[in-house]
Amino acid sequence: MLITGIKSKPVYAPLCADVTGRHHLMLGVGLGGAALLRVVAELETAAPAALATTRVLLAAEDTFERTGIASLARFDDQAPLLEAFTTALEGSLMGTRLYVAGPESFIGRAMQIALRFNLNKDEIRAEECGTLARRVRCVHCRTTTEEVRTNIVRCAGCDRWLLVRDHYSRRLAAYMGVMVDAEAPGELPPIREIYL
Amino acid sequence: MSALFKPDETFRDDFTFRNSPAAIRRFPLPFAEDQYMYSVNIEPHLPGPRGSVLEFGFDVDEHYVAECRERNLVLAAEPLRFQALPHMMSAQWDCLELLMESLARDYPAHFSLTRQGNRWHWINRPLGIDQHFTFGDPATLPREPLDYIGRQAQGDFVVMDQREGDLWTEAGVVTTQADWSLDFDVGMTFKEWHGPVPLAHEMNVFDRALKYLLALRLGQPVRRLNWTMTINPRLDTSPENYPYWGPDRTRVTARNAGELVHLRVEMQTLWRLPRSNGVMFGIRCYLISVAELATVPHWARRMHRVLKDLHPALVDYKGLTRYRDAVVEWLAPFDDGTPTSPGTAPE
Amino acid sequence: MNEAQTIAVEVTAVEQVTPLIRHFTLKAAAGGALPAFSGGSHIIVVMRGAARIHRNPYSLLSSPHALDTYEIGVRRMEESRGGSQFMHDSVTVGSRLDIAHPVNLFPLDKIARKHVLIAGGIGITPFLAQLEDLHGGAVPYELHYSVRSPEHSAFLGRLQEREGGHVHLYYDSAGQAIDFDGLLSRQPLGTHVYVCGPAGLIERVIGTAKTWGWPASHVHWEQFSAPPVGDAFDVFLARAQCTVHVAPDRSLLESIEAAGVEVPYLCRGGVCGFCQTRVLELDGELQHNDHFLSDREKAGGRTIMPCVSRARCKTLVLDL
Repeated sequence: MLITGIKSKPVYAPLCADVTGRHHLMLGVGLGGAALLRVVAELETAAPAALATTRVLLAAEDTFERTGIASLARFDDQAPLLEAFTTALEGSLMGTRLYVAGPESFIGRAMQIALRFNLNKDEIRAEECGTLARRVRCVHCRTTTEEVRTNIVRCAGCDRWLLVRDHYSRRLAAYMGVMVDAEAPGELPPIREIYL
Repeated sequence: MSALFKPDETFRDDFTFRNSPAAIRRFPLPFAEDQYMYSVNIEPHLPGPRGSVLEFGFDVDEHYVAECRERNLVLAAEPLRFQALPHMMSAQWDCLELLMESLARDYPAHFSLTRQGNRWHWINRPLGIDQHFTFGDPATLPREPLDYIGRQAQGDFVVMDQREGDLWTEAGVVTTQADWSLDFDVGMTFKEWHGPVPLAHEMNVFDRALKYLLALRLGQPVRRLNWTMTINPRLDTSPENYPYWGPDRTRVTARNAGELVHLRVEMQTLWRLPRSNGVMFGIRCYLISVAELATVPHWARRMHRVLKDLHPALVDYKGLTRYRDAVVEWLAPFDDGTPTSPGTAPE
Repeated sequence: MNEAQTIAVEVTAVEQVTPLIRHFTLKAAAGGALPAFSGGSHIIVVMRGAARIHRNPYSLLSSPHALDTYEIGVRRMEESRGGSQFMHDSVTVGSRLDIAHPVNLFPLDKIARKHVLIAGGIGITPFLAQLEDLHGGAVPYELHYSVRSPEHSAFLGRLQEREGGHVHLYYDSAGQAIDFDGLLSRQPLGTHVYVCGPAGLIERVIGTAKTWGWPASHVHWEQFSAPPVGDAFDVFLARAQCTVHVAPDRSLLESIEAAGVEVPYLCRGGVCGFCQTRVLELDGELQHNDHFLSDREKAGGRTIMPCVSRARCKTLVLDL
């Protein structure tokens, strides 16, 4: 079961402005503010008219200078930001581009919401920054364990030791966890903190 | 009729499943040569020789009744082995129609389907089912269409929606899988779902397969074979239940390998669906113990050679690591080095 | 496609619905229901004329829920190579034709939150079938239908009767035009737009959608254009070991088929990529008329879509 090199792990890239879009909606958490500032700066140069309908939702400590954008809303926490995001999508039009910058677990949650509005990969850009900690879904008891930094983790639901695989579900916004010692109970591979 | 089926066979606990000599001879061996590597081995699903597993679109064999009972057991314990996203309802009806039409046409002694417009009457004699319903109206069936017919057919069924130049896994009844989770994979695209398969991506196998499947036509299904190995004739080797079947892998010795280790072959068929324009993926599972397989001399030699030289990544991915050597050792006496003719026939 | 897999049909009704458009109703010659299909599908109709065989794609406009008959609408094309003329002049009630199983290259997106349908002239046909699937459903939709004049509006009666407020009609003759900018700038997220009709209409919608930032995956189009005519040329088929002459008004695909060699196809219109063929040798230039190959592939000269493309050459050898 120790499979490596899985191709279903999501891949992220540094954010850059998509000038083919007419409206831009941006979400930033933690260290994500810097990436969004960069995108706004790019739009200022390449497509300044788009700034007038650019909206930013931020749960970060960065100072974010308002630079002619339509709105900037700040939140203390991910949860209220995601709520505001849902409302924003309800009023959004075709031609919108979504930018998400923050830890992967946040990106996953934002994608789940975007999925409901039929936004696809051509309309979304995501940059991972901050912790690599994963959400892990136990395939046995279906509990999701949050903030997993190690390659092996104890399931928060059924207590089994799970191997944290690279196989990722966008629908569940989580990586798969499978019992690691079924064939040799108690024999665990070395536990390493690799998702820092 | 009941002499044909072995209704009390089990695929768990006491594992009373066995293949009759006839079942052994018609077994779909996946090795045409003495070594194995992936390929896009898709071919038209045309009718094959009489009595073979390819004679009809959906094969019904001596294990039919027992397999249907096993499926009901799995679904009773884990309802999420059947899933269908809301927009897949017309695809579910397409699947129901395809299976009912095929079974009634190809096995008229066991199944019959009579229709007057949308009023359908389905009879399944081996399972004792007699159902009147209105095609297209879910309220007239005791379960959702795919769930309903899935419990009356051997093998798993995965249904994909075709859009944005891709195939999306968005419905299925999956209880006889080789270690993948429908609940986890529902919503994935073709390549995401196949993400865990090693090597094949580098070989562009999935790009080519996807392109081929996007052009799949009504009335022209295709098929391919896939294989792995299972300890005991266990159909439900899902990741969900890995804690229960995983330990069996440690119980294999060179002495019991013939009896315990089973070759597990998937006859995969792919069908374009008419009303939904989706694709139905049928995964029909055949099991045979190594000992049963070895009763055919040149299959024994071939199996020995294929396993001995199998690429390490495939050994790992197919879960054979712990017991591959034991099986090779068990088969060794059957391999005297005589050349085997290419092809998969028993002779 | 294998000719052996066609279905024999008989024409049960013919109606001239506009001066240019004829409406045909077909039933299975052997009786019974025709194959079920999804809205947006087309069938290839095989017409055996005196001098040649025509294979033309026509959208199914009949309801996917009524399978006793199929219905198609055929517009008489002015510079026709004969297919539409054959349908108009030689096909009557009782005529026998062969058709292929329906193929859908223009399906509705099942998870769209809204559908905007744009039809020009004969382009209304695939939408008629799709509207049967959309009718009464939870997903909002609207149809914008542009025609020359009331005289040239086909199937309007049944449309307005069934769809009422979902249909917006535009008569060229009255100076009415679709406001593409207005339409495409104000749709909610998750809307898909579908266009079928003349090339100009399709280009306009694609271009306007792009301007307003729609990703290509939300813009769907279907165009049935006849293969362009051109100078005659010869082609050598390497595997069949024969030379095929391509007359000016025959497509490369048709000429190869007439020589008895089968080439797989789905649309015969340069869109689906199914007939893509390898070029083994070329002394001259290929004339690519398809929408499938990339610019790079077209420039590379190693591949061609025989359904719509041609060549001006001394030598052309294909891997067929």
